[in-house]
Amino acid sequence: MRRRDMFGAFGALGAAASALRGAPQKFSIGCGCAFAPASAIPPGSEAFKDVGSKLRITNMQVFGVTLDEKIARSDRPYVFVKLETNQGVVGWGEATLEGKAGAAMACVNDLRDFVVGSDPMQSEHLYQLMYIGSFYRGGPVLGSAISGIDQAIWDIRGKVLGMPVYELLGGPVDPRGVRGYYHAQAWTLDAARELGDRTRQAGVTALKFQLPDLLEWIETDRKLKRAVKHMETLREGLGPDIDFAVDFHARPSPTVAAILLREIEPLHLFFAEEICPPENARAMQRAARKSTTPLATGERLIAAYGFSELIDLGIVDVLQPDIAHVGGITALWKVAAAADAAGIRMAPHACEGPVGGIASLHVDAAIPNFLAQEICGFVEAGEMNRVWEDLTGFPAMRMAGGRYPLPTKPGLGFEVSEAALKRYPFQGTRPFPPAFQEDGSLASL
Amino acid sequence: MRRKIWRDLPAFAPQATSTDRMAIANLHGWRVREPVSGRRYTVLRLETRQGLVGYGECGPATRAEIEEAKAAAFGRRPHESEFIRHRLAAFPAMEAAVNNAFLDLQGRNTNTPVYQFLGGPTRFKVRVQASLEGEKEDALEGPLTQAFQRGYRAFSVPIPARDSMWRMQAYVDAVRARIARMRSLAGPDLDFVLDAAATLTPGDAALLATALEKNHLLWLDEPTGVLTHDALARITEESVMPVGLGRFVHDIGVFQDLLRWGSIDLLRPSLGLNSIVKIRRMAAIAETHYVAVAPYHNGGPIATATGIHLAASLPNSFIQQIPFPSSERDAAMRTELVSGNQEVAKEGFAPLVNKPGLGIEVDERALDRYSEEKV
Repeated sequence: MRRRDMFGAFGALGAAASALRGAPQKFSIGCGCAFAPASAIPPGSEAFKDVGSKLRITNMQVFGVTLDEKIARSDRPYVFVKLETNQGVVGWGEATLEGKAGAAMACVNDLRDFVVGSDPMQSEHLYQLMYIGSFYRGGPVLGSAISGIDQAIWDIRGKVLGMPVYELLGGPVDPRGVRGYYHAQAWTLDAARELGDRTRQAGVTALKFQLPDLLEWIETDRKLKRAVKHMETLREGLGPDIDFAVDFHARPSPTVAAILLREIEPLHLFFAEEICPPENARAMQRAARKSTTPLATGERLIAAYGFSELIDLGIVDVLQPDIAHVGGITALWKVAAAADAAGIRMAPHACEGPVGGIASLHVDAAIPNFLAQEICGFVEAGEMNRVWEDLTGFPAMRMAGGRYPLPTKPGLGFEVSEAALKRYPFQGTRPFPPAFQEDGSLASL
Repeated sequence: MRRKIWRDLPAFAPQATSTDRMAIANLHGWRVREPVSGRRYTVLRLETRQGLVGYGECGPATRAEIEEAKAAAFGRRPHESEFIRHRLAAFPAMEAAVNNAFLDLQGRNTNTPVYQFLGGPTRFKVRVQASLEGEKEDALEGPLTQAFQRGYRAFSVPIPARDSMWRMQAYVDAVRARIARMRSLAGPDLDFVLDAAATLTPGDAALLATALEKNHLLWLDEPTGVLTHDALARITEESVMPVGLGRFVHDIGVFQDLLRWGSIDLLRPSLGLNSIVKIRRMAAIAETHYVAVAPYHNGGPIATATGIHLAASLPNSFIQQIPFPSSERDAAMRTELVSGNQEVAKEGFAPLVNKPGLGIEVDERALDRYSEEKV
């Protein structure tokens, strides 16, 4: 069915849709819990009966997907959301939340009454309903749940309108694809050299590394030297032509970050990420003032509101919302829009499953202030990538020539195989693995 | 009927009834002095009606202050730390000693260590730092070696006193040379704090801090006595050298302001002027700025034990300073005052003592021997 025909069909199916709206029904959902919604008519939707489409979301399912511990980290079983419509179009999204899989799944279900029975063409209104209408503004659990639903709504929108999501957002800015970077590690000069060679051979242009030690809020000569030496070794081994970022992972305080940033300035990092914990933007600013190294942060922040202080105070150079937490395509695009106006670039975070990664590509492709897209994969494809291909039917989030190719089909541009999902049944929530300092106190990992 | 004004309102509970066995019935104080260094501190002994005894230490105090503490504490029960914090706000040393003694009493009464009372241990050992005394390098070398042998791995070194004839650049070179010499004596992987003792101007401190950045001192301590945020901004804007300060501060709001303005990298409230319940409030504010706490300590061994309980309970404690006497007589005094003296370390950390209260026993006869006055 062509999309225009499909719109026409909404009218013809009006009676069926009204019947649906009038009849509360039971929905079964993937997590094993089941609710009878209070009403099949989402609050506020009556007002749109003359202006909306006849497309309706008829069902929402949540899938937990656990990979073998040897393949993927056990703290983040993928949480996928599937929305079904009265027109047979389905949409997929990802609400994976590290260490909180059960909460994210439950929260998706908590939003059920807002979603089932609603018109998925109203992506913005539904985003407002889920975020503002929830009264308690978003933390990571609500943010991830909204993200999963929002991505699925955009998938449906694109499929119904016959366009890839990036076209709906005004892209692609660059049809050749989206620049990406992989994760990597190298602890010796030889290892860094060898990694540099493999990276160039694979056509990859950027990598990201970790710091060698856990850090405290005041640090010792030994650990400061080790951290600086590590980064110097990376630059020397990789050579000048590979961009490399270092994820400080909020291990340092602003105090310690300032020292490191000053000493690594000559290395010209791609960016330094999460130089200190994320809650206090002005505290981060203390360290940010001390260095010309580009600074990036944002993976733990929710909704555009979570980024406004960073943007308004001009603290960082790069923002890294995660499309599985920030509030999906709607929120990621809004953060990008505000960042663009302030001269800040976007390098969205992604370290969960393939659905969110691909959804992120669509936003990346449509924003002029895009820098690079993360994925927690390596220069050489591994077992995890095999599973992703099993789930999505194509080598998801693998670069060619340093870029992720853009999907060309409508919506997000792929289907999740439910047959494949059954091969990786949900094994329950596992906590984010904590780390400890020498004296047994908790460390920021 | 006359309308009650706020001063009439009973903001705190009245004194305990005469039958309450935990009410404070007695308070005594010793003003003690170390024989060689002349370091002074005050020890309070609080006794409940049932005869339970707790000790609290603070900095130098007068007889009048101790009398004030007695008036405040009498009839109060050891859980009323908020009453004491307000009632003795104008007598910060007394606030520290009474509230710390209250915690000792609480711990002894419930048979738990103070750190359990304060929310439980966040760490199983506490990093400690020996503060060395002496003006010249020669005088610092012996104590440095001794402190290393006693298990310390971090040391506070005083900066040389500067007179106006000493050119600043030559002075900076001298400070750098002092650090280099200390490092070479102590070996690798040891850490140093440079104690400026509030003697520098903000401008000189900024110059020194910038010049010493690559030395990776743990921090520059009390660089200046000028604690306005524009003065401190001269240091913190120019340099990435961590700045620790606050040894004279006994008002929580002062630290809040310094944190707000990004003027401080490490909170250093003195154990002699602030109870640990008060320092915990300061630490809670610092935590949200990713700033650690390392209490200043220039008192005796009872406060050392108190500081270790505090550090054990705080998520954002970094290190506990411990005075390291260069004189044997002073060291002997500190050992005699308490049994279970914790002023020794293993690979830079002091262990926690899993005993009720502060976990130490105070020798009152030793207090008598070293006291200038008993109140």
